[in-house]
Amino acid sequence: MSDLIIKTNKLTKKFGSKRVVNHVDLQVKRGEIYGFLGPNGAGKTTTIRMLLGLARPTKGSIQIFGEDIKKDKISILKKVGSLVEYPSYYGHLTAYENLEAVRILLDAPKSRIDEVLSIVRLTKDAKRPVKGFSLGMKQRLGIATALLGNPELLILDEPTNGLDPSGIIEIRELIKSMPKEHGITIVVSSHLLSEIDQMATQVGIISKVIFQDSISKLRERASSKIKITVNEGESAWKMLLSHGITSDLAQQSIYLENGSDEKVAKVVKSLVDNEYSIYRVEEEKKSLEEIFLELTGKEGGL
Amino acid sequence: MARLLGSELIKIKRKMILFLVFLGPFGVIALEAVNFGVRYDWLTGVYKDDLWKGLIGEVSMLSVPTILIGLTILTSMIANIEHQTNAWKQLLALPISKTKVYSAKFLLTVILLLISCSLLMVGTIILGLALKFGTSIPLVHLFKMCFYPFLAALPILALQIWLAITLKNQAIPLTVGILGTIISMYAVAFPDWVPWKWPLLLNEWGKPIFSVIAGILLGFIIYLVSILDFSRREVK
Repeated sequence: MSDLIIKTNKLTKKFGSKRVVNHVDLQVKRGEIYGFLGPNGAGKTTTIRMLLGLARPTKGSIQIFGEDIKKDKISILKKVGSLVEYPSYYGHLTAYENLEAVRILLDAPKSRIDEVLSIVRLTKDAKRPVKGFSLGMKQRLGIATALLGNPELLILDEPTNGLDPSGIIEIRELIKSMPKEHGITIVVSSHLLSEIDQMATQVGIISKVIFQDSISKLRERASSKIKITVNEGESAWKMLLSHGITSDLAQQSIYLENGSDEKVAKVVKSLVDNEYSIYRVEEEKKSLEEIFLELTGKEGGL
Repeated sequence: MARLLGSELIKIKRKMILFLVFLGPFGVIALEAVNFGVRYDWLTGVYKDDLWKGLIGEVSMLSVPTILIGLTILTSMIANIEHQTNAWKQLLALPISKTKVYSAKFLLTVILLLISCSLLMVGTIILGLALKFGTSIPLVHLFKMCFYPFLAALPILALQIWLAITLKNQAIPLTVGILGTIISMYAVAFPDWVPWKWPLLLNEWGKPIFSVIAGILLGFIIYLVSILDFSRREVK
């Protein structure tokens, strides 16, 4: 029980009559990187706002560290660091002053500023006004601000939004290192599945229904097919059928569903015996993207 | 609260805010210096019974619109620091109650305006001495005329902070503030219950302190209502 850092119960938020977040039951365990995934407009940011007490749930409850956000908001927020959507900063102040303005409020020691600056590697630029920073640096400053209070839980909403590939990698490595080095539990949201795939240990996909499990369970859902390309697809397919092997034919290639090693060997052997030229034997995995689209109910994407 | 104020003081760095706090009283005194410089003989003739009182009266005529326009700009600038990059969501996700965050902004503006009023008082004394009005300065009267208009303007301050903080579009609080300033210039003819008349310290009983008491009371009420409104609002 105490292992659950975040637990929401039938969390619902309505704007007017529109349900933006509908019956979401989140469960985040200690020490996980929880990837919070959903298409744009699925209610990720709204859910995160509710977790931080910035918005009130229409229905349902939120428990963080076993405390109710409605009653113990301040004591919960003491242990939470956050970065919501695009970074908030005071452009006319330097990075150091930005952190100082928040540090005073958290009553953290002054030395903590230099610590968080070095964690996000901004020590060199600490004395520059933030308005001259690149988006990646602003984003890193946002993460530094979130880390100031030595949080046990870090909530990052779209932290890699709008970053270039090297910025994305940097932030990703930073996020991945934190549970190990600092024992922090992280909730990170994104609309990019590949992002979550590369950093999360636990995943929640929000849309009409919520899928919530470890990322490896999600990968298991990605069933594989064996694709065999031969010189004469159709006649090969017929030949296989006459040998009692069912397969699919598409674009002159033969597809085997759930091909076990023996089955693949048998198919290849009979193809060779019948003097077909085999060009390729490859495994085709249903990509995580397809599973994502299936779960969020937007088949075909475009 | 001390920590919150400390944080606010860092945030107003390099924002011209402190410059404005100085510019208001400096502008009033400079204009009066010109006023008395140009028509020294005539004005000293008019106020020959009590030169200091005359000077203080002239100063306070200019200071009322200056206070009103000054508090409008100041509240808008202070609120805009958070609006600009929507820093509200970062600020309010910190372990501090919304009531305190709001009150700190309110207190900051009050302190800044009190500094302006003090500067105005010092400036008036310097100008009076420079004009050789003697050293029998009516300090109590001067103190009243520098601080009473501000205290009587507290409802307007509370209203402006409320508008500036809750509305992202600063055109609205600025328009309201400027209109209020213009109204107050013609408020002599208004009935006593109009708050924009109070900073002029005119009422049917001829007692400036009544305007001040009314100002503090209504200011406090608007402050309470606005705090309720602010803590009820969701952060975008």
